[in-house]
Amino acid sequence: MRTQTRLKRLEKFFASSSLNIALLSKLIILGISNAMALWALTVLLAEGHYLIFTILVVGALLIDYIFLSERAYPLRFIFPGLFFLLLMVVFPIGFTIYVSFTNYGTGHILPKEMVIKQYTDRLMLDEGHPTYKAQIFKNTAGEFAFLLTAPTGEQLVAVDKAATPLTEAGIKLEDSDGDGKVDRLGEYEQESILNIFSSLGKLENLTFAYEDRLLKLRTPETFGCYTPRYQYDPSQDALIDLQTQTTYFAKDGNFTSVTGKSLDIGYQTIVGWRNFQKLFTDQRYSAPFLQVFVWTLVFAFLSVLETLGLGLFLAVLLNDPKLKLRRLYRVLMVIPYAIPAFITCLVWRGLFNTEVGIINNSIFLPLFGKALPWLQDPFWAKVAILIVNLWLGFPYMMLICSGALQSIPGELYEAAMVDGANGWYRFRRITLPLLLSQLMPLLISSFAFNFNNFNVIYLVTRGRPAIPGSITPTGATDILISYTYRMAFEGGSGGDYGLASAVSLIIFMIISIITWINFKSTRALEEVPQYE
Amino acid sequence: MNKESLKFLTEVKKKPRFTPQTWSQLWKQIVIWVILAFVLYPIAWVISAAFDPANTIVGQRIIPKNASFINFIRLFDSELQPFTSWLLNTFKVSLTSSFLGVCITALVGYAFSRMRFHGRKTGLFAILLIQMFPQMLALVAIYLIIFWIGHYFSSFGLDTHAGLTLVYLGGAMGVNVWMTKNYFDTIPQSLEESAKIDGATPFQLFVKIILPLTRPILVVVFFLQFMSNYSEYVLARVLLATNENLTMAVGLQTFIQDQISQRWGVFSAAALIGAAPVLILFWVLQNQLVSGLTRGAVK
Amino acid sequence: MKRRLLLVLGLFLCLTVLSGVYASEEGKLLIWADDTRSPILQEVGRKFTQKYHINIEVQELNFREISNQLSIVGPSGKGPDILIGAHDWLGQLVVNGLIEPVDLGDKKKDFAPVAISAFSWGNELYGIPYAVESIGLIYNKKLVPKAPNTWEELVAIGQKITDPKKKQWGFVLPQPDPYHTFPLMAAGGGYVFGKNTDGTLNPMDIGLNNSGAVRGMELLLDLIKKGIMPTGIDATTMATLFKEGKVGMIISGPWYFQDFRTAGIDFGFTVIPSINGKPSRPFTGVHGFMVSSFSKNKLLAQAFLNEFIVTKEVMYLLYEKGDRPPAYLPALHKVKNADIKGIYDSASVGVPMPSIPEMNSVWSAWSNAIEVILNGTQAPQGALDNAVGQIKTAIEQAKK
Repeated sequence: MRTQTRLKRLEKFFASSSLNIALLSKLIILGISNAMALWALTVLLAEGHYLIFTILVVGALLIDYIFLSERAYPLRFIFPGLFFLLLMVVFPIGFTIYVSFTNYGTGHILPKEMVIKQYTDRLMLDEGHPTYKAQIFKNTAGEFAFLLTAPTGEQLVAVDKAATPLTEAGIKLEDSDGDGKVDRLGEYEQESILNIFSSLGKLENLTFAYEDRLLKLRTPETFGCYTPRYQYDPSQDALIDLQTQTTYFAKDGNFTSVTGKSLDIGYQTIVGWRNFQKLFTDQRYSAPFLQVFVWTLVFAFLSVLETLGLGLFLAVLLNDPKLKLRRLYRVLMVIPYAIPAFITCLVWRGLFNTEVGIINNSIFLPLFGKALPWLQDPFWAKVAILIVNLWLGFPYMMLICSGALQSIPGELYEAAMVDGANGWYRFRRITLPLLLSQLMPLLISSFAFNFNNFNVIYLVTRGRPAIPGSITPTGATDILISYTYRMAFEGGSGGDYGLASAVSLIIFMIISIITWINFKSTRALEEVPQYE
Repeated sequence: MNKESLKFLTEVKKKPRFTPQTWSQLWKQIVIWVILAFVLYPIAWVISAAFDPANTIVGQRIIPKNASFINFIRLFDSELQPFTSWLLNTFKVSLTSSFLGVCITALVGYAFSRMRFHGRKTGLFAILLIQMFPQMLALVAIYLIIFWIGHYFSSFGLDTHAGLTLVYLGGAMGVNVWMTKNYFDTIPQSLEESAKIDGATPFQLFVKIILPLTRPILVVVFFLQFMSNYSEYVLARVLLATNENLTMAVGLQTFIQDQISQRWGVFSAAALIGAAPVLILFWVLQNQLVSGLTRGAVK
Repeated sequence: MKRRLLLVLGLFLCLTVLSGVYASEEGKLLIWADDTRSPILQEVGRKFTQKYHINIEVQELNFREISNQLSIVGPSGKGPDILIGAHDWLGQLVVNGLIEPVDLGDKKKDFAPVAISAFSWGNELYGIPYAVESIGLIYNKKLVPKAPNTWEELVAIGQKITDPKKKQWGFVLPQPDPYHTFPLMAAGGGYVFGKNTDGTLNPMDIGLNNSGAVRGMELLLDLIKKGIMPTGIDATTMATLFKEGKVGMIISGPWYFQDFRTAGIDFGFTVIPSINGKPSRPFTGVHGFMVSSFSKNKLLAQAFLNEFIVTKEVMYLLYEKGDRPPAYLPALHKVKNADIKGIYDSASVGVPMPSIPEMNSVWSAWSNAIEVILNGTQAPQGALDNAVGQIKTAIEQAKK
């Protein structure tokens, strides 16, 4: 009945409507996107970011196409989601792929040109030469001149990239107010300290050649003598240390001399498949791989199983309308979901403590007369982490199961719960398979989530306890992602993002294959039948 | 429509098909209380710590000696942690991003449910798969994106809530699209057919017919997204910087990092206050949630 | 169409107004600092602005995020002019090309030598230190009236206090934690990295399995065997036990002082007891100001630091807020608090925590070794040999 009146109202609405929502929203979206694109394009072009420029042009045209072409109609609905997905998920994935082919990481952060510039700009303070007191002058054209006085009384005039002794400079010093201090230098007038500070950014880049060295501001009031330290030779693609006359050749992200000594700062460069090769050839990755991989699978599988088990059980229990207080129970059961995991994981760590933890002191010691080494023993640590993950994960499962359950005719599970063995049989043979097939996409995604559940491992055990005698720091509760990331970030000399990216990609491939197999075998992609 | 079906369900159950067995109800209550003990045990320690002026993490008593509100007072009084702003920021960001997220999810779910186009199945699979990518390195990329966006539009840049919202919207297309799509699938198409004859565009059908009918699933998606944004801290920690701008999860995390044992009580108080709105929201939404999930998961 | 035009125009207007900055700009100083330091810097910055009409902006960042964010933003040539940080970031920041040497001029001699050496890399000074920190022995005066000077005394006192029935222990240190275990290993000659002839660290010379290091671990194992120290205690649990008066002595640092005071514990701080007549040497950490390589105002940044930060008043203020002894001697002499002086003493006998990036490969292997030793799973020599092997492989592999 109600639907019919609604339809009638709709008919009226469409007939009388003069305002076309679709057209208006189309205009607004197009207006915004084109305006933004145009504005951004001018800026990008001006700043010379040609790659982003091209991406933006293509993007803007695509948006226009989507909203103007009838063929692309479905895309209009997907577009807002797609936009954010592309920007915040797909682009980062693309970035990860790119990084996996580079040596990006500690010591290889900057592009090569910037490293070269840093080295060639590097000047060494020459302590053997005097520090000059500087007086700063400026002419009406805004150019600066300096009067430098050495402690010996020797005076230099620094102007236009060169310094000359005052006697040879041919510039007259004036003391117009007669206070004994020079306040004019030829056409240049003395600058106040205030103005000097605001133009220090310009002044600090001025160097003046004097004899075999460079004079440059050292502090706002003094000049020092400097010599350049490095020179870049493009023909050899090498930096030359002028002090020791050593040549450092650019190779594999570092400037290295023939004796194998490298300059501190390396540069970012493409290294091809090297990171992937490392993963497969480096014993440190391959040796514990199987062990870690098996535990990862067990951990992810058991996590899904236990959370689903408890979640489903509670959903069934709380679905009974005769159950007193069930609204309250539901809210109480959701609490683990409502408090940030990093807080509750800390509480759990405290509870599991062998010596002072409450679990041992109030359950295991009084009941069994024995304290369990929860976080120190490989087996118990695994149990502990599964308990914590059960606690953290079951409310989500309870939520989705509660929903799924209600789509199944009420009698079925009613019977299942109350009817004893017969009901259990029906629950197992009818309700459960029905539920599982409905929840499959969610379960698969939950498996993938736990497969990469770095957080819970890190917060509860940090992968510990350690496995003695391993060739690389490995823990008994390490899962693939916690183990490999540690390798990438704590290897050699700090974070190796290139390697970590390669790891991410490999893990993603593993998880994709598992997901694909799951989907195929559970037919979760099949169409949902219509309710008529 | 859903209220009706619910009423119907309840009525069916009220029929005394089985004589109400007290022992079965009792048994259920006992089981629930056992599980509740497991669920609430760690929480009890958080609560106890919140009211314990001594501020400790282990070895505390479950009933604190001189229970007081001092931790709550410290929480709101301290200059170091602008807790009220953190709370407000969290609400601002999670509400906006979940609301926009629901809009996005609904649009996408509708397209996948009602339209037939090239690459539809692949697209659905891809949506699920793509969110499984290990996010660790994405942090660097996302930071750079927001950095560059901020370079041109400072109000969406680093250390802004708008920027963080943009990032959260990237997660809107995920497993939730599946739930929404499945729910939409269960709405009979006959309703739209007649409106279509009157010349309504798919967008009008979506707004005028589908949205009102599918409110429950939208509420569900809203709650799930709200929850995940509410407690998210990995991205927020990198993108937000100023103390005044932090969300609650980040604020709490940074503020315990060095001083966890010193401020354990204050920290627990904060966790409780932070959890309260979520629980209230859940209490209010729970009927919607249950009936909403029903249809969404239906095959 | 009119509507659309208006929209476009409106947007243009908004966008031009909105485009802002988050980066070093000529004639303006941007400082990245954590929430403890930023109010002070803001205050000092205002004075600088008053005097020279140069704007100073202080951006508040989580202390640990400062170096990470700099290495992400750096390559685009952006970021702050000045940042605060810990000396052990130095290696990473230098090899990433992110920071610039600083010039302290004559004021260099007014700083604690250990602080200056911690912030030096090669022949250059890369930071202006403002605080040093270290760990020592914190003891509950009620249980331990007189602090032990030697390890033997510590064991004797420990045995007297320990009472398993009351869950009371003589001594605790955080486990497995290389930072707090190092002093014992270093007393007998254990070290992380050996030194080259030119004074730089040699990452391939690792002394964590020499006899001194092994001896340190044996001492700890002995404490566990005697029941003086419980196993599996992390820093948080340790602090709690101490606050409840359940532990006589712990190894820890100044970050707990405030907490212990509030808990009403009468405690003392002293250097860690000597072992076989040799002092236990903790790691020394130094915090300081650094100048970014991408700053467009390096001279200005220098001038600000030299003239406004390196003063007795500001350095003392930084100490008051941060609870760490100042690295600037004139400010240090002003400090009256005995505990703070104790930390300074501890820091000056300490070893600056190695700042070379290779230090990254050390922590996990080392703490795993400590864990298996204290668990009793593996003997000290074997576990430490294994750890050193792991560290060496990690460093060698990264070079390939």
